[in-house]
Amino acid sequence: MLVVLDPASPEPLFAQIGAQVRALVSRGELRPGERLPSARDLAGSLDVNLHTVLRAYQELRDDGVLELRRGRGAVVTAQPVDHAALHAAIAGVVTTARDLGVPPATTLALVREALR
Amino acid sequence: MTDRPPVPHRLSSTLLALVVPLVLLVAAGVTIATFADELPGRVAVHWGSSGPDGTGTLAAFLVVMLGVPALVAVGSWLVAVRWGWGSGTRRICVGLAVGFAVAFAVMAVGALAVQTGLDDGLESPRIDGVVVLAIVAGVVVGGAVAFLAPRDAPQPTSDRVPADAPRLDLAPGARAAWTRTVSSRSTAVVVGVTCAVLVVLAVALRTPLLAAVAAILAALLGTMFVFRVSVDERGLTVRSALGWPRLDVPLDELEQARVVEVRPLAEFGGWGYRLGRGARTGIVLRSGPGLEVERTGGRTYVVTVDDAERAVALLNTLADRRRVS
Repeated sequence: MLVVLDPASPEPLFAQIGAQVRALVSRGELRPGERLPSARDLAGSLDVNLHTVLRAYQELRDDGVLELRRGRGAVVTAQPVDHAALHAAIAGVVTTARDLGVPPATTLALVREALR
Repeated sequence: MTDRPPVPHRLSSTLLALVVPLVLLVAAGVTIATFADELPGRVAVHWGSSGPDGTGTLAAFLVVMLGVPALVAVGSWLVAVRWGWGSGTRRICVGLAVGFAVAFAVMAVGALAVQTGLDDGLESPRIDGVVVLAIVAGVVVGGAVAFLAPRDAPQPTSDRVPADAPRLDLAPGARAAWTRTVSSRSTAVVVGVTCAVLVVLAVALRTPLLAAVAAILAALLGTMFVFRVSVDERGLTVRSALGWPRLDVPLDELEQARVVEVRPLAEFGGWGYRLGRGARTGIVLRSGPGLEVERTGGRTYVVTVDDAERAVALLNTLADRRRVS
């Protein structure tokens, strides 16, 4: 799995990690049962505080994306739904936004609003 | 790969892989010579589960017991001085050479010492203790020598990574990490079944030694079955589940990384942590795509892992990013 952090972004680092793991799981790049690196290893790799990764992992667990087991680390849970339709819809949103010239920040704001 | 520097540490490799083992074996021969006239005409050379069951001449026994480790030493020495660019290669060579010499020397001296004063080699007592001592001494001394063998000096480079090497689109300030595990299910099955058979045999034949062999195999399995491969600002790290063997290639010693197609049998003669064709050190658990890293000092490493394209692209990108600034 590839995780890229942008320290300049206003989005907190733990949220960036969480978002990328979600995306990897949703795209099928991280499969159910696959083990993530230990929080310590990932924190070392990304040069962030251990608690940043732990917080990301805990939120992912709370959302049912990961299972955290003592001694076994973080494991991707079985995802019951196929997200292909969602990806197609998102691709549609992206195309439409580009066609209409709506900037990404505005599109994101609209999506966020709709999810409330 | 034609412009490799000379193999480093050839003097220490010669001393540790060739001179030390040969001196040990000669010392064992001299020790045996001091009590050779007290030995029976035909000495016991083979032990079954109930005691000695085969005899032979002293000369034939010594040719095997001192000749085999001498051949291992010569072979290891040749590999170390011809292909030992990486410290891992040299360590395995000197460890094997010394370990075999110690184990065989202890075994030869011990197996003969218990036969002094006997009329017939078949009256010899069991030598289980000698065998265990020989194996433990070989592993401990061989491991210690491997540990003490000189490591590679840092060899940073400031040369840019070649422009045609794969890259990843990474924003200037971004931090990136790639990680993946690679495992060998077939190895686990084969070793697991072997261990089970050994344990059953150990119980059935009442030979605790076989159970010990099973335990050693199981420990080896732990070191060879699962590896985690990581790429980040520290470079490439490959680490087994037990933490050893491990491989670290810091970014400032990386010349370039590329994706390769690996054929374990043809290129490495098998699977595991191996030295292969072109003096490449491989952590090879399956056939198919993997990453190949060229490191300064003529060292090349191969790791079979999924998603190697991105690992390679990230390695080149991170290494090059350091050299620009």
